[in-house]
Amino acid sequence: MIEASNLSKTFLGVSGQEKRQVVAVESVSFSAQDGSITGLLGPNGAGKSTTLRMLATLIKPDNGTAIIDGHSITDDVLAVRQQLGFMPHNAGIYPRLTTRENIRYYARLCGMDKTSTEARIDELIEMLAMQHFANRRTAGFSQGQKTKVALARALVHRPQTLLLDEPTNGLDVMATRGLREIIRQLAQEGHCVVFSSHIMQEVAALCDEIAIISDGNIAMTGSMDSLLATTQQSNLEDAFVHAIGGEL
Amino acid sequence: MVLVVLWKEILDNLRDRQTVFYALLFGPILLPLVIGGALVAGLKQARVSFEEPAALSVSYAERAPNLLAFLQANNMDIEAAPPDIERAVRRGDVPVVLEIPDNFEQALRSGQPAPLILHVNDGDKHSSMEGRKVKTLLSAYSRTLNVLRMQHRGIDPSIFNSINVTLQDVSSNGFRGQLLASLLPFLLIVAMVMGGFYLAIDTTAGERERQSLEPLLSLPVARQKLVFGKYLAVLVFVTLSSVLTALSVYLVFRFFAPEMPGGVLSFDAHTIIKAWFLSSPLVFFISAVLMTVAASTRSSKEAQTYLGLLMVFPMAPFFILQFVNVQSVNTTMALPMLSQYQLLERVVLQDTISSTHIALSVCGTLISAGLMLYAAVKLYSRERVL
Repeated sequence: MIEASNLSKTFLGVSGQEKRQVVAVESVSFSAQDGSITGLLGPNGAGKSTTLRMLATLIKPDNGTAIIDGHSITDDVLAVRQQLGFMPHNAGIYPRLTTRENIRYYARLCGMDKTSTEARIDELIEMLAMQHFANRRTAGFSQGQKTKVALARALVHRPQTLLLDEPTNGLDVMATRGLREIIRQLAQEGHCVVFSSHIMQEVAALCDEIAIISDGNIAMTGSMDSLLATTQQSNLEDAFVHAIGGEL
Repeated sequence: MVLVVLWKEILDNLRDRQTVFYALLFGPILLPLVIGGALVAGLKQARVSFEEPAALSVSYAERAPNLLAFLQANNMDIEAAPPDIERAVRRGDVPVVLEIPDNFEQALRSGQPAPLILHVNDGDKHSSMEGRKVKTLLSAYSRTLNVLRMQHRGIDPSIFNSINVTLQDVSSNGFRGQLLASLLPFLLIVAMVMGGFYLAIDTTAGERERQSLEPLLSLPVARQKLVFGKYLAVLVFVTLSSVLTALSVYLVFRFFAPEMPGGVLSFDAHTIIKAWFLSSPLVFFISAVLMTVAASTRSSKEAQTYLGLLMVFPMAPFFILQFVNVQSVNTTMALPMLSQYQLLERVVLQDTISSTHIALSVCGTLISAGLMLYAAVKLYSRERVL
């Protein structure tokens, strides 16, 4: 479970000769429950990735905090990470290692012993249907295969909470449908899944809860039905434009 | 945890041809063969040997039988000169030709300076060296004749030697010796740098470029453990590279130059092992420098640029020490690389080394390595590392 309150982050950006402060996230508060899929929906540059990076303890928020499964992301970094599986928007797997070796590396780094590591890898290969490329080096894998390896790696230590940054990027229709199935299954197993995307259909098809993020702020949160009701629109796209203050 | 990272980085990089080539082939094998081999071969060529029999082409040999007998007694095999002397020497068919003019015998008899013409090609190393050798022999012959002429006229030949200078070189080496002696630290240090070069880039800037750093840092592992693991992997490659280099330097000198000029330089097993141990603190320092510099850059390309510039540093002492006389004072002995250059030179020259200097070199280098590693950990704690 994630309880984020007033997260903010400012970076020092360089524009031309000048250096100036760029507000990436101004104030983000939302919650994500176990057993459900929460979508972080927003246009490019809205602050989705920065928010997820703060939640993943990669960067420290300037203000505000978040509690993940009872641990604060500012004070209890290692405990948060133990509960967390993070998949950034590029798979970021090692091309000279095989699928198994990629997953094994993360398992061992998470402190798993040899026997349980191998058992868990077999389980994940089965679950994500990776049998035919389990022992191949990942260089030259399709985007769908890479995403699967990255997801398996994020899941290896059985984290309660999953942060997925634009996981369907670059996937074809069948791979996207396959990934949706996996994500639904994970939520059914009781995981808390947070999923960022700028694609409406993606979020509409998958998410139980939606947080619309725009210019570093949460513009609206709620279930699909409640968003439509609040904005008095008939589809998510119109509701989204309404929520971020655009003209229909 | 640290070992998990170490093992993964080694496995990963052993599969990278570039890393393996530079770490295990370029520094340890190609460089000693090319530089060491060339230098040894050059030294051998530059040495003028009066013991080895050599051929000498003489034109009109019949005009000076005594001179030829003298030359033959000094290991010169006399051959007939080719008809077109100038062309033959220029083309390198024969290195030099000694021509005896027809008035040689007559001038000698009448007590005049007897003319001899030595055809050499100064643009050709071999010819110019043979020329020097023949000239040396001829002046020895000339001195003998002088003595005979003076004795014949009842003069003591020694009155012409007003000053008799004896040159006593107290150094255990000459310029060439110094060059050869600094070859060992040069090769070892360059191999260390090349050995860790690509690995350091791959594990830091490369990891960031492949975007595998973000998920890695989100794992429940302290960042300094990741840095140590990566550092150890670089250290393993740097160490391996230096051991292989020591071995190949030993083999190069063993097979190409079993006997050293003057016999003061030593490249035997004992010397090489001693030299390796004296240089070993550098593996910690060089690994740390490579890691830190590569970690501070944004991309592999940037890292290669900076580390490429950094390559000048291990080479600098090699050139500086050739031309500038750096006294081995305590300050220079505390400096990493410079101190190893000086220590290793002395090992090869079989000079005595003070234990203070060894202690300073080891401590100075290890402290510098520690500081560099601390900087790498700091770099990884920054948010900008992503």
